[in-house]
Amino acid sequence: METQLRALQQEALDALEQTRDHASLESFRVTYLGRKGGRLTAILRQLGTASPEERPRLGQLANEIKTEIERCFDQRKEQFATGASGASSPMVDLSLPGRYVPFGSRHPISQVMDEICAIFEGLGFAVAEGPDVETDFYNFEALNLPQHHPARDMHDTFYVTDSILLRTHTSPMQARIMETQDPPLRYISPGKVYRRDSDITHTPMFHQVEGFLVDRDVSFADLKGVLTSFSQRMFERDLALRFRPSFFPFTEPSAEVDIACVICNGTGCRVCKQTGWLEILGSGLIDPAVLVQVGYDPDVYSGFAFGMGVERIAMLKYGIDDIRLYYENDLRFLSQF
Amino acid sequence: MKCTVSWLKQFTSTEGFTPAQLADRLTMLGLEVDSVEELYPALDALITARVMTVDKHPNADKLSLCQVDTGSEQIQVVCGAPNVRAGMISALARPGVSLPDGTKIKKAKVRGIESAGMLCSARELGLSADHSGIMDLDQQLEPGLPLRKALQLADTVIEVDLTPNRPDCASVRGIAREISSFTGSALQPLVAKVTTLTGKDTGYSVTIEEPTLCPRYAARKLTGFQIGPSPLWMQQRLAAVGMRPINNLVDITNYVMLESGQPLHAFDFDTLKDHAIVVRRPRADEKELVTLDGSSRSLEADTLLICDAEKPVALAGVMGGLNSEITAKTTSVLLESACFDPLSIRRTARRLGLPSEASYRFERGVDPDLADKALQRAVDLMVELTGAQADPDGHDLYPGKKPLLAVPLRMGRLKTLLGMEIPQDEVIRLLSSIGFVLTQTSADQFEVLVPSFRVDIEREIDMVEEVARLIGFDTIPATQPLIRMASAAEDPMRRLCQDIGRNMTSQGFYEAINYSFVPTAHHDMCKLAMDDSRRKTIRLLNPLTDEQSVLRTLLLPGLLENIHRNNNFQRSDIRLYETGKIFLPKGKEELPQERMQLCAVLSGQRYPAAAPLYFAGQKSEFADIKGALLQLLWHLGYPVNQGSSVSLKVDSSAQQPYAMAGSCLAIHAGPTLLGCLGAVDQAVLKAFAIKQPVYFFEIDLEQLLSLPRREKQFTPLSRYPSTSRDISLLVPESFAAGDLLSGILAQNQKYVEAADIFDVYQGVPLSSGEKSVSLSITYRSLDSTLDDASVDKIHNKIVRALMQQFNARYREGFDA
Repeated sequence: METQLRALQQEALDALEQTRDHASLESFRVTYLGRKGGRLTAILRQLGTASPEERPRLGQLANEIKTEIERCFDQRKEQFATGASGASSPMVDLSLPGRYVPFGSRHPISQVMDEICAIFEGLGFAVAEGPDVETDFYNFEALNLPQHHPARDMHDTFYVTDSILLRTHTSPMQARIMETQDPPLRYISPGKVYRRDSDITHTPMFHQVEGFLVDRDVSFADLKGVLTSFSQRMFERDLALRFRPSFFPFTEPSAEVDIACVICNGTGCRVCKQTGWLEILGSGLIDPAVLVQVGYDPDVYSGFAFGMGVERIAMLKYGIDDIRLYYENDLRFLSQF
Repeated sequence: MKCTVSWLKQFTSTEGFTPAQLADRLTMLGLEVDSVEELYPALDALITARVMTVDKHPNADKLSLCQVDTGSEQIQVVCGAPNVRAGMISALARPGVSLPDGTKIKKAKVRGIESAGMLCSARELGLSADHSGIMDLDQQLEPGLPLRKALQLADTVIEVDLTPNRPDCASVRGIAREISSFTGSALQPLVAKVTTLTGKDTGYSVTIEEPTLCPRYAARKLTGFQIGPSPLWMQQRLAAVGMRPINNLVDITNYVMLESGQPLHAFDFDTLKDHAIVVRRPRADEKELVTLDGSSRSLEADTLLICDAEKPVALAGVMGGLNSEITAKTTSVLLESACFDPLSIRRTARRLGLPSEASYRFERGVDPDLADKALQRAVDLMVELTGAQADPDGHDLYPGKKPLLAVPLRMGRLKTLLGMEIPQDEVIRLLSSIGFVLTQTSADQFEVLVPSFRVDIEREIDMVEEVARLIGFDTIPATQPLIRMASAAEDPMRRLCQDIGRNMTSQGFYEAINYSFVPTAHHDMCKLAMDDSRRKTIRLLNPLTDEQSVLRTLLLPGLLENIHRNNNFQRSDIRLYETGKIFLPKGKEELPQERMQLCAVLSGQRYPAAAPLYFAGQKSEFADIKGALLQLLWHLGYPVNQGSSVSLKVDSSAQQPYAMAGSCLAIHAGPTLLGCLGAVDQAVLKAFAIKQPVYFFEIDLEQLLSLPRREKQFTPLSRYPSTSRDISLLVPESFAAGDLLSGILAQNQKYVEAADIFDVYQGVPLSSGEKSVSLSITYRSLDSTLDDASVDKIHNKIVRALMQQFNARYREGFDA
């Protein structure tokens, strides 16, 4: 029986050497180590026929042989797994393209708009969207832009009737929200806006994100702080920010905000017209007239508001050079984002 | 507003500041500088040269052969000017130099004689219209000097993009005032001395009938002038800031307006009936006035007019009348310097579509205290430059004279609003630098006297802004607001659209955004019936084009246009979706209903842009759009299956005109129609010039959002194996095979885990009119391994019931 065991050991180890892949390894396992019809198992079953004096020694030997074959088997298996055996699977042309089910993507405007909103949501701002078709009151009057105000020239407006129009900015939400809620308030309002202007740098519809915050003792310094945080997150760089006095009827003091040119880092290039700066948003402290209009005491409350063009920010972020591309929905464009 | 640096220097010193630095400081003061441009940059390359000798050109009568001293050498130049003479200093362009009009000078042979440059006329140098001869310059000039320097033309134009609140800066002196705030240099007055006008013995009268619309009217008469071109320096200044020189009288009124901000107007005095000026509204019978440009302008009851004793002679503050225009025959003028109500001027200018330099300023507010000074400045210039004599007296009616406004400024409020402390003496210094006068009224408060030219300042907040911009926004720190935390409620529609975006893009769809305004033609192209409610649209009063004249009531047309566009660029495999609003009109003066919708289109290959090696030839079909929709609804929490509220069914009442008949399913939630899916009708495709089948679905998201969402709920996993049984049933060709699946699930038999159709077959050996549907049902128990016998028992029960319900037969060889 001992001879039988030794022979089997030799035979098994030789056979193991001959295995070339997982399949032949598996058939080896079934042949030699299988629990049902494996040859080693068969011999072990015969142990009972050996003499009682021989049985312990043969048992120990059989176990040693079994352990040895199993150890070599595992080793061989490991070799196949790591490809170290020199064995090869059927020929696969690894250079062929991968097979996948393609994804689509969201419009770059939506992506940028969501990103802007997410940054402000992280700062505790709530998101509220308003109607695209607005009353003259919310779009202008409530924002300190009475009839015949020269500043209305800055907005080329599409009218539906004398008193109904397509909103020229998302700022009407300021008045709508303040009218029904008390401070402290933190809101951003993304959406489509419309101006009667169409050329290489203007489309008659575009997107804005408007934001405002009202509480006691809110200062211009706070406005600078919040917008600085925003710009750092949005452009993923610590770009210099420049606040420049400007004029909007619904804020005072008003500021245009420029960032150091994302293309040239402020050294001057074609995109920033050699100024080193790019205008990205308008902002300011909410004009007391707007606060009074909604019944807030401007001696108690103050706040800031800001608005930015999403197309412009997406252009800067992605290097898009023609605003009209956004609305052609050409897949060669959409699939880049 | 444009001005030149030399003009600014007339009013304040800019020493120590380059034009670029001035521009930067102005920008940071809120006067955004759009451009800084050197004047006559081309003239740097030209030089002064002395003509040494002049000889006749041997081959041409009218040409001369000149030896010219360039300061470093003598060269030979051929010249055709009649005024060339030995000894004169003129302007020379050497070969390689470009003239202002772009002409490049080359070494050339003129009628066989070499010419090493060109002597230039004033017109060729862009300096004036004079082309009568070459420039005859000052004899004292050395040859070889750069021309721009020699002629003292070196100057820079600064263009400021003025915000509407700063009419005081619509003038050279106004901008100079802002510059003086940071240079500390004094601001020079417009005129040294102003003649007091009493209105006595002038020989004409001025009457203001509308003192609220005309707070001030000053006038002065001049005679004895010579009308002709203005001096070169004035022409050059006007041209530099974009105003065309006309003649000395007109140029002076424009020049003083640009310089001071006060629009002026000159009437031909002798055309004024009874030598009277009356400021009034039109009489009932006065319907129109022919203005200087020859157009007839209609008058309305609120149009402010300048009239003589019987008729209008000007639209106040907007444009003069033709009947009182200055002509070559004019021998005396009445010069007007007045102040008008901004709103009145704006209405007239807007109504008539007549924006002018004058109305621009009046609409925004002209300093009423300026009228007499600007008039004096213009009179002085006319006397000096045209030889005019001014009447010693004139009129100056000032019914609207008001004391200067006093505005409080609390230091505490200033600190709160800016977020920084500014010392009191700093506040005083800053504000005084541009003409504010401060008086301390308490330890913490000032009273600020607002100068009359700052018509934009009325409130404390305006003073806060002044302090902020003068100290510089960049000196204000950046801090974070202290505000109570609050968890903001989420906007469910926004959330839904984001979920849709994630789902659709993972199914290979790209998001499109189309304009909200569309052409009405879309309605016909989509075959909408004449009485279809979606033909009722919100129409724009002033659309840019017909293509963008109404607000959309459907999203599909936009996406079809997108498909067409992509087809034009050889992209035929398309998956696009859009979430956007449609606009449904309500009452006339009511805001429309805005409804958020989702529309998706699919066309071409099933897997767009995927490797053709693996997916070629797999055209998308109805099942693809249906699958996309089911997948979307499932993941949004609105599954379409047994027992859920959302269902897809054939519903002829919901058949859309733009969907192909027989290829349209309605999406229902109980009795509510959510939308539909289907193939786009052939005729509609043709209308959009699309040559390939397009499948679409559309859903009203407002409706969808109002449905209860399926909550995510865990179902325990079975630890036992499943087993499945296949069956093939023969049914009529027209039978809806999908009903078999719902039929199986509807039986609610236990252990049924899933039911699938894996084959639908028609043809030999089946008889025509029949089809075979092969199904697989998977069984699994939660608490044991199912034995064959118990599976067979349930399976046979299900199959029998199916056959009975749908009158189906076993297909041979597939008996269970």
